[in-house]
Amino acid sequence: MKRTVINLVLIIAAFTIQNCVFPLIPFLSASPNLLLILTFSFGFMKGQREGMFYGFLAGILLDLFYSGPFGFYTLFYVYVGYVNGICTKYYYEEYITLPLVLSVLNELAYNLYVYVFRFLIRGRLNILYYLKELIIPETIFTVVTTLLIYRLLLYIGRRLTEIENRRDTTIV
Amino acid sequence: MESKYNRYILAGLTVFCILLMGITLVTDQWLEPLRTAVGYVLIPIQSGVNRAGVTIYQELDDYGQLKGALEENRRLQTEIDRLTEENNRLTSERFELERLRDLYALDQEYMQYSKTAARVIANDSGDWFQVFRVNKGSADGIQVGNNVLAGGGLAGIVTDVGAHYATVRSIIDDSSRVSAMALQSGDTCIVGGDLTLYKEGRLTISGIKEGGDVKDGDRIVTSNISSTYLPGILIGYAADISVDSNQLTSSGYLVPVAQFSNLQEVLIITDLKETDDSEGE
Repeated sequence: MKRTVINLVLIIAAFTIQNCVFPLIPFLSASPNLLLILTFSFGFMKGQREGMFYGFLAGILLDLFYSGPFGFYTLFYVYVGYVNGICTKYYYEEYITLPLVLSVLNELAYNLYVYVFRFLIRGRLNILYYLKELIIPETIFTVVTTLLIYRLLLYIGRRLTEIENRRDTTIV
Repeated sequence: MESKYNRYILAGLTVFCILLMGITLVTDQWLEPLRTAVGYVLIPIQSGVNRAGVTIYQELDDYGQLKGALEENRRLQTEIDRLTEENNRLTSERFELERLRDLYALDQEYMQYSKTAARVIANDSGDWFQVFRVNKGSADGIQVGNNVLAGGGLAGIVTDVGAHYATVRSIIDDSSRVSAMALQSGDTCIVGGDLTLYKEGRLTISGIKEGGDVKDGDRIVTSNISSTYLPGILIGYAADISVDSNQLTSSGYLVPVAQFSNLQEVLIITDLKETDDSEGE
């Protein structure tokens, strides 16, 4: 329960920071996709079910605040949670390489998803330009941020486990 | 089993999303209340975060500017330091120039004596004695008994000489006695240092014989009859001359010409007073 609340708070915080703070920073030509990081991290760490759950939430948030067909982001984020949840069997705490690889893949997939369904279908064929100007910078930023966020999530998880253990022992 | 469930959930959500997209592509009117409802919750958060973000950003911006200002400040401070130092140097050089000019004027004034300039390198610590040391000694022709000039007047006398140093007892020292005379009238007197008058910057004049005509403001110079001081060197100006209680002599004070509080350069007369007894007689 506690974990869920904290994760929800994290998602909302990520959403608001991503939308309200990052645009203010002028030297940030691209900004990391915090929601994507959270979603795939939850999926990777907790499994498909949680991944889909938080992906759904994140997607709904984005869908509610962006125009366009409702469910566009939700669909993608649910899949992110699900697919990354497959890798949960390879999850262990100190393993940072796989999350980073996943981060790159997710980011590329997300951008391609947006590109294909928002740009390509409108006849914008210059993918190299988008790749160069948008996708690669954002991917780099996201990967770098993943290092931080992922560690933060690990830390929170560890602390929560400690608290739970302590409570269990006091009850006993 | 678990993954199968998940697959079902995924499939359900996928269908749900695609349906939603399909519907909202046609019309998204019905979403309006939902968006509004969620907005009630999220807009305050967003505006708050936004405000915080703006504040933080402005703080950062201010901080950045502050850092720039600090950097500039540091640079300017260095500049100021440099300029201050330079100014100090120039000022001291200007003062030195003035002092040297004074010395030069003094030099002109007492042209008949051969002189050498020396720099005061040490002062006697403590307040009891008014003695200082200069950076010229016997190697420069200085001998014990040489007169020392500063600031246009007599400053003292060399009491001790080394190869490259000389110790000078200034005329304000308590033990200093200078045989002097009033320039106008030629009345002889004794100019003595007095520790009690040192703070006032005065010396005593004593032994003016009865009938002597020494008035306040008279120039007092070293006398012809002094055994150690060359004649005609300005010492200072008489002040507060009064007749002593014995009615035979007058005494008063002398305000010296030389400034003793900040002596830095002095002229040392390398000529010794010729004490030829036959000449005196």
